[in-house]
Amino acid sequence: MSLPATTLDYVSLGTSNSKRSKLPPPPGFSELAKAQSHSKSSTAAALGSLEALKVKRAWDFAISPVKSLPMQAFMLYMSGGGVQIFSMGIVAMLLLSPFKNVSAMNTAFAPFAPGPPSSPSTKSLTTLPLQKLAYLGCNILTLALGLWKCRSMGLLPTGTGDWLAFETRGPSPEISLF
Amino acid sequence: MRWLHFFGLTLCSTVLALYESDVGVVDWHHPLVGVPLTSSLNTPPTFHSIPGRPPTEALLLTATSSNVLACTAHLSLSDSGTAWRFIFAPTDHIIHYQQHRDIVVSLSGPGGSTLRTFDCLTGQLILEKRLHAPHTDHLESDDVGLGAAIAFIPESDDVFALTNGRTVRRIGADGAVRWAWESADKSASVVYAKLVTTPSTVYVISLTKSSTSKTLYISSLSTSTGELVASTSVPLSVAAGPSDVLALSSDAATLIPRVVWLEAGTILSVALVPDLTEKHTSVMGSAYTRIVDIGLQNKGHFVALTMNDTGRVLKLDVDKLKVIWEFTDSGKSGRHADSLYIGGLDRDGFPYIGRVFWSFVVRKASAHVYAPHLAAGQGLVSGFTFNFDTEAHGIISHVALHTAYVKEVDLLPYLALTTSTGAVQLWQGDIVQWTREEGLSRLQVAEMVELPEQKITAAHTVDERDTFVERISRQLTDAKELHLYMLNFVKRFVAGPNASTQKEIAFDSLTRDAFGFRQVIVTANDLGKVYGLDSTSGAILWNRVLGLGWAAQIGGQVIPSKLFVVRTIADGGSPEAVLVAQRRASNGLVDTVLFHVNALTGEDVLGKSPADEVLQGVDLISGPLLEAYQLPGNHKAVILLDEFRQVYVYPETPANERALAKAIGKLNVVLRTGLPGQRQLTGHQFSNADVGRPTAFATWASSLPAGEEILSVIPRPSGPVASLGKVLGNRTTLYKYLNPHLVAVTTASPDTCGVYVIDAAKGSIVYHVSIAAKQGRCDLHATFVENWLAYVYWEEEYQWVGQTKGRRLVSVELYEGSKPDDKTRSSELSSHSNKTLAVTAIEQSYIFPHAITSITTTSTKYGISTKDIIVANENGQIQSFPRLFLNPRRTKDKPTAEEQEEWLVQYDPVLPDDAHRVLSHNYHVANIRHILTAPALLESTSLVFAYGLDLFGTRVAPSGTFDVLSETFNKAQLVFTICGLAAAIMATRPMVRRKRLRERWYQ
Repeated sequence: MSLPATTLDYVSLGTSNSKRSKLPPPPGFSELAKAQSHSKSSTAAALGSLEALKVKRAWDFAISPVKSLPMQAFMLYMSGGGVQIFSMGIVAMLLLSPFKNVSAMNTAFAPFAPGPPSSPSTKSLTTLPLQKLAYLGCNILTLALGLWKCRSMGLLPTGTGDWLAFETRGPSPEISLF
Repeated sequence: MRWLHFFGLTLCSTVLALYESDVGVVDWHHPLVGVPLTSSLNTPPTFHSIPGRPPTEALLLTATSSNVLACTAHLSLSDSGTAWRFIFAPTDHIIHYQQHRDIVVSLSGPGGSTLRTFDCLTGQLILEKRLHAPHTDHLESDDVGLGAAIAFIPESDDVFALTNGRTVRRIGADGAVRWAWESADKSASVVYAKLVTTPSTVYVISLTKSSTSKTLYISSLSTSTGELVASTSVPLSVAAGPSDVLALSSDAATLIPRVVWLEAGTILSVALVPDLTEKHTSVMGSAYTRIVDIGLQNKGHFVALTMNDTGRVLKLDVDKLKVIWEFTDSGKSGRHADSLYIGGLDRDGFPYIGRVFWSFVVRKASAHVYAPHLAAGQGLVSGFTFNFDTEAHGIISHVALHTAYVKEVDLLPYLALTTSTGAVQLWQGDIVQWTREEGLSRLQVAEMVELPEQKITAAHTVDERDTFVERISRQLTDAKELHLYMLNFVKRFVAGPNASTQKEIAFDSLTRDAFGFRQVIVTANDLGKVYGLDSTSGAILWNRVLGLGWAAQIGGQVIPSKLFVVRTIADGGSPEAVLVAQRRASNGLVDTVLFHVNALTGEDVLGKSPADEVLQGVDLISGPLLEAYQLPGNHKAVILLDEFRQVYVYPETPANERALAKAIGKLNVVLRTGLPGQRQLTGHQFSNADVGRPTAFATWASSLPAGEEILSVIPRPSGPVASLGKVLGNRTTLYKYLNPHLVAVTTASPDTCGVYVIDAAKGSIVYHVSIAAKQGRCDLHATFVENWLAYVYWEEEYQWVGQTKGRRLVSVELYEGSKPDDKTRSSELSSHSNKTLAVTAIEQSYIFPHAITSITTTSTKYGISTKDIIVANENGQIQSFPRLFLNPRRTKDKPTAEEQEEWLVQYDPVLPDDAHRVLSHNYHVANIRHILTAPALLESTSLVFAYGLDLFGTRVAPSGTFDVLSETFNKAQLVFTICGLAAAIMATRPMVRRKRLRERWYQ
């Protein structure tokens, strides 16, 4: 890898010392100097809109699990009530993805954290608390859907019958002989 | 839970039929005929030669105590197969049979109400005729066999039958009654007992029945018309019974029949002429004590015993009786037992007289056979001794004689011995041809005992202290048997589950097979014999005669009460069994005796009796036994109650005493108390006395209505309970009511039959149903396991529209509480708890296809497999009924999805009579009284042993053989696949290695 022999001199395109500076700017092209005169306020505005965008995106991301719920419900409906590889796959996905999502929540919300990306607080739990709460709730909804499916398939040990095999009985205090 | 249902589906979908290839492999059947009736001379075993056949092809006919008329196979054959048998109904007692030409005629029922004619060779029923109603006011019940007789005249197949003690009929071969004559004397005192025929006249001889009246009546009838020709009476000086009067006749036309009786030491006889004008005459010579019918009355021979019991043969001669032979040394003596006299015929109809006795001196049996017509009419006697095994067969109670290959100076006698233990033996001279253990038809108790493992697979008792060198040397000696182990493994793999058949292991040592299908059935009969049978073949592994103890001098009977396995292979060492029996001595004393045997060999565990002698028991209680039980737990001690309700423990070891003392405060037992006809159940507990034996005291008594008699008490088998409840479709649970004190009781009263389930600890009735009965006859059989009671009965009641008579099976399940999920933990509740009666009975009734004689459920090692019902029906089949159909929660409508998950099927009142579920193939398994089931090592399989008249053994898998590879499993394919894969790996491994190496070079 060798450096290129020639370099482009963009400095000569500067506005101050060129004869071309006298040329009128093209229509619609604002004076750079003019823009530079408002630079302080316009940067602040841009930063503000970026933060708002981030917040908006964070909210979008927070409720994104809910958006896929109808689709997942439809898939569950289509997969039927039997214990098969397809339905089990979907159920496993529904049961596992909330945990995966929540465990990776801070990383997932890091791009939406306010302030510069290099800020140390981007990955902290306390940033974007409302969005994270909402995200958590939505994931719980997904989990609930998975559990509901499990229950409807009879996979949740909710009845006494599921625990019957673990029940034991002691010997009777009296003995009858026959 | 879903996977469980799937598991269940695979179980239920298995077809449960007996395949033809399994017949004789998984099952066996021993048809028996029963112990010959030797007490009456009308029914003992007799030989019958077949005209036109070699003399060795005679048949042995007998009527037996199991109410069977049977014919065993030809004598020339060394096996003892049954040629034919005819099983009479239980109420239709066979009282007389006689063979004539090629037919056998039998009289059965009270007074001989039914006459049947059979083909002698095939047993085909030719004729069956009801002669009078099967009840008799004329004869008393103890006169069975009295007042009935059969006679024939030569050259005719017509039967002269005397029945009901007063009616004589001539019945043609086609069943038509040619004539009938009834005694004019309707009084009950005169009972006609004998028939003598001549071609022209039938003489009917009668005796007064009472012991005070002493008259002999003789009537003569015309054979062609049945008209009474003459009638006379002879006064006797002593009262005589039917056996004290003989009626002699002969084939020879010159010899006039005579009636013979004994009076004050003198043999008197009167000639029978049609007008009955002859006067009686006496036989000159010494005084006689007894006249013995030897079955040759129609050949004119009998034996009379003189004052010192010397046997003399007397023969009907012209105008008199003649002494033709005296058996030398047959008098009373200390050197031999009393002699048995018997007559027999050869093929040509010549009579032979035999004397059989047991010699105390040489300890052998001896037989003398006298042939009157041989040696130019001088008479020839042939004697021999034979090695009768009195330690294995008891004493000879009856002998039948047949002779073949008669030469001028030689003869070949066949003897058929019936022994006191119920064995029938055929001896050809001094060689035993075959032995039939007919005592097996009277088994009373039976238990299955597991066998120990084979030596080469047995684990060593690891001794912690053995040194390294010892261990190495032990392992080296083990390694020497490695090839045997490998061979065994391969054999097992190739052979499959049915490998443990009798063919393969019959001569093997007594060890268990891979799946524990081979066990020892220890069983005992009321003829004083205990047997060990192989459960895979029914072969007798060992048998012992039960000793009578002090009663040996006066005689007696040992009646088994209960049989306990007091040591199993799990306890280490040889399994042992204890037979609890009651010995009834001839003087009326009853004792309780215990016989303690090694279940594998029949050896006396106590070492009191050597293997080749009778088994001596332990006289534990001098008095009758009230009940015997076995303590649960490791000790397995037997405890017994005498008539004073004192407790005895056996074996009387300190450990057992301690175990009893520890448990005695917690024990409950139920006894039947009260007089016959008003018995009640009484619960008892025990008080632990400081001195003397603990005694039982009553705690509660049942209050059965007056006149209600207890038929049977059915305890539950003590097998493990795999599941404490039944899970419903909505995954709630019906908890099984598993109160360990429950016992089922069946009762009978004049108009109802009852089924009770009673809590034995406090006497509360948990379930009760009463069924209409007809005249107190309750055809009721019940079985009870876990929380499931099933009973089969005959439904008599049909007052309402839509009801019918018929046989019903009712399935009852008991659950805790009143609704699903109600839990009272019934199996560990104290009996004092109020919650013991929180129980719900769910029941359903089905129409059952057959009358049954026994019912039981299968039992498996862990109780996981379903429990099917096994019944012995009256068609001679052993049949199983699946639990699935007997679920009392079967739905009335189409089952919903939840109910389908429980495998409930829609209720159908008719239980299918499924031929696939007949376990007994096409055998006729007759008169089964009891079915015993026992677990094998495989959880899926239950062993079945049915006994009664016949013995039958098989094994069943109620849930399919889910723990064994199926017969059709392609083992070769599996092996080839694995071998192929291994070969492929071997072949590709160097290729892969080369490829990897190349990849590293040319990266």
